[in-house]
Amino acid sequence: MKDVLFLARTHVITAIRERITLFWFLVFPVFMLVLLALIFGQIGQEGEINLDVAWVNRDAGGSDPGGFTAAVETVFEQLGTPQASGQLPLFTLHRPDPGEDLDAFLEEQLTALRRGRWDAVVVLPSGFGEATYARITGTAEPGEGAPGVSVYMSETSVASEMAAEIIEQVLGEVDREILTRAGRFDPSLAVESETVWVGASDEETRYVDFLLPGIVLMGFFVNGLFGVPGAILFNRDRKVLRRYWVTPLSVPRYFAGFALGHLALCGLQFVLLYLLGRYGFGATISFARPGAALTLLLAAVTFMAFGFLIASLARTANAGMATANILNMPMMFLSGMFFPVGGLPAFLKAVVYANPVSYLVNGLRLSLGVESASFSPGLLIGVPLGWIALSVVVASRKLKWDVER
Amino acid sequence: MEDRVLLRVSELVKHYGDVRAVDGVSFEAHVASVFTLLGPNGAGKTTTLEILEGIREPDAGEIEVFGARLKRITRDVKQRMGVLLQDGGFEPYLKVREILRLFASFYENPVPLDEVLAQVALEDKAGAQVRALSGGQRQRLAVGAALINDPELIFLDEPTTGLDPQARRNMWSIVTGLKERGKTVLLTTHYMEEAEALSDLVCIMDHGVIIAEGSPRELTRAFGEETMIEFHAEGLSDAAAGELSACCKGFRVDGATVTLETKDLPTTMEALFAWSREQDVPLHNLIVRQPNLEDVFLSLTGRRLRE
Repeated sequence: MKDVLFLARTHVITAIRERITLFWFLVFPVFMLVLLALIFGQIGQEGEINLDVAWVNRDAGGSDPGGFTAAVETVFEQLGTPQASGQLPLFTLHRPDPGEDLDAFLEEQLTALRRGRWDAVVVLPSGFGEATYARITGTAEPGEGAPGVSVYMSETSVASEMAAEIIEQVLGEVDREILTRAGRFDPSLAVESETVWVGASDEETRYVDFLLPGIVLMGFFVNGLFGVPGAILFNRDRKVLRRYWVTPLSVPRYFAGFALGHLALCGLQFVLLYLLGRYGFGATISFARPGAALTLLLAAVTFMAFGFLIASLARTANAGMATANILNMPMMFLSGMFFPVGGLPAFLKAVVYANPVSYLVNGLRLSLGVESASFSPGLLIGVPLGWIALSVVVASRKLKWDVER
Repeated sequence: MEDRVLLRVSELVKHYGDVRAVDGVSFEAHVASVFTLLGPNGAGKTTTLEILEGIREPDAGEIEVFGARLKRITRDVKQRMGVLLQDGGFEPYLKVREILRLFASFYENPVPLDEVLAQVALEDKAGAQVRALSGGQRQRLAVGAALINDPELIFLDEPTTGLDPQARRNMWSIVTGLKERGKTVLLTTHYMEEAEALSDLVCIMDHGVIIAEGSPRELTRAFGEETMIEFHAEGLSDAAAGELSACCKGFRVDGATVTLETKDLPTTMEALFAWSREQDVPLHNLIVRQPNLEDVFLSLTGRRLRE
């Protein structure tokens, strides 16, 4: 056992002393956290805004004597129209097709909101126009209020908060129109709106809480994809592995020592990122949940196994780094780590489904309560385990300890 | 050197594609001796050693080591072996002591680190990172890693290649010390003076086969009573060289170096001085010496060891 521990220690010491490794292990993920938290934590303060909003008008086709339903519809219509040539509209509106079942459509839109595809879902209730008219004209039964507008928001999205604020202003405009038509100030005439938070957590979720798990996984991902083949292949090219080979050290024990050291570095990286997120950016998210801890461990092992796979197939360190670079972008960006992937075309979705990162990202956020499940529990664990098994089998057969003659 | 055989190799064969790198090599190494495989680059020395170290598997042949017959080297055997690779590396950011501690963890009964550091004279560098060491210090560290388990059988593959004369002498004293402590050393080199200085037994290899075997004295004795006369003569004409045959039984011209073989030194020297005057060829760096392993290799192959 002491050989495994000493190998692990060697791996950690080397990584800490070697500046380039230290950069990828610690500096780069910290830099990404700071950068993304500073930039996207301030989203909406400047720049062009385009929000995806699903619009469900249950009152369409119903009695609307005062034209209030039509007025609200028109306002949303305008928000979905570019104000100038070449400019994006404030809202991209997603509506049901003519004749489509509204309940099923609403359910789909709420799922899209949970998965981060949409920023808000607005539902104008059935009977809205008639009830509003009745209250203004005083023909409503005593105590009978107009049915409220429902605004569904994702609690994990800053863009969703922004969409909700805009919708609130829109409804305020509708209120003023109603009061103008009524000719009197009567707060009871105001349109009631109900905000429904969509998400697994009841706590207030900040952007950094959403970002932090993704950054932690990104750190593990970079460590696995670049750090593991880098360390193994450069040691092979430098003939370090060859020197181990002439000792009684066995291949499984070498791997065990390497893996232990690698996981220790991942742990160190996690602690650093967590402390920075918590005390630097006020993250409130807690990783002290069995599901989160297990997902983090599964992620670290999956990415490490992927690194073993690359190391086993590459002939040189440079070839290994090139392979990692080729895999890096599609694996990271087609996973939902940084942005939603629900709206991708079918051929890219196939990559998303084959990509173990997709399951680990969703699994971690699910376990932390900042995202709902996009995959079944079996897939969340099974796909990464499948990749681990495949990688270990291939690596154990293909990994060469000496440069080829 | 004891009579007991520690390592016996029989009909070892290794191919790389169509190239027969090792072609039926057989030899024995005795306890408390230095056994040397001598030959030019590409002779098959390192491949032979790599098979014995467990890095490569032979295509044919048998190995008997520590009394056990093996097709390939096992981990139990490695517990009792030490290996200095020709081109093995170390993690550049690890310190000398950390590396020795790591290698010690691979063995059941390692030697105390301070003892090994003293043995390879690296006590002062124990806290230095590998990247800060000189070539000679790195090679001594590699020897230290090979000796960390107090091995009975030690493989040293080209241990002095690339070292300066002082570092080479230091390495020689380490090898001599190992033999004095009863260790068996299997050495490869293409330096004939190294083989002569250190070896009890030498196998001369060329093109994957052993072409001569014996102690350095036995091998050079094949030249009988002959004495070698050597001098430097730049731009020697063919005609002048042809006249040299009148001086002695045999001679050869290798670049600017002229070597004569003789059984009658006084007569040959007189003839040589006469030739020098007649041909107006100065005899720079003239030396008279006994035949060496370079002469043996040259006589067997027609080539020099370092060609």
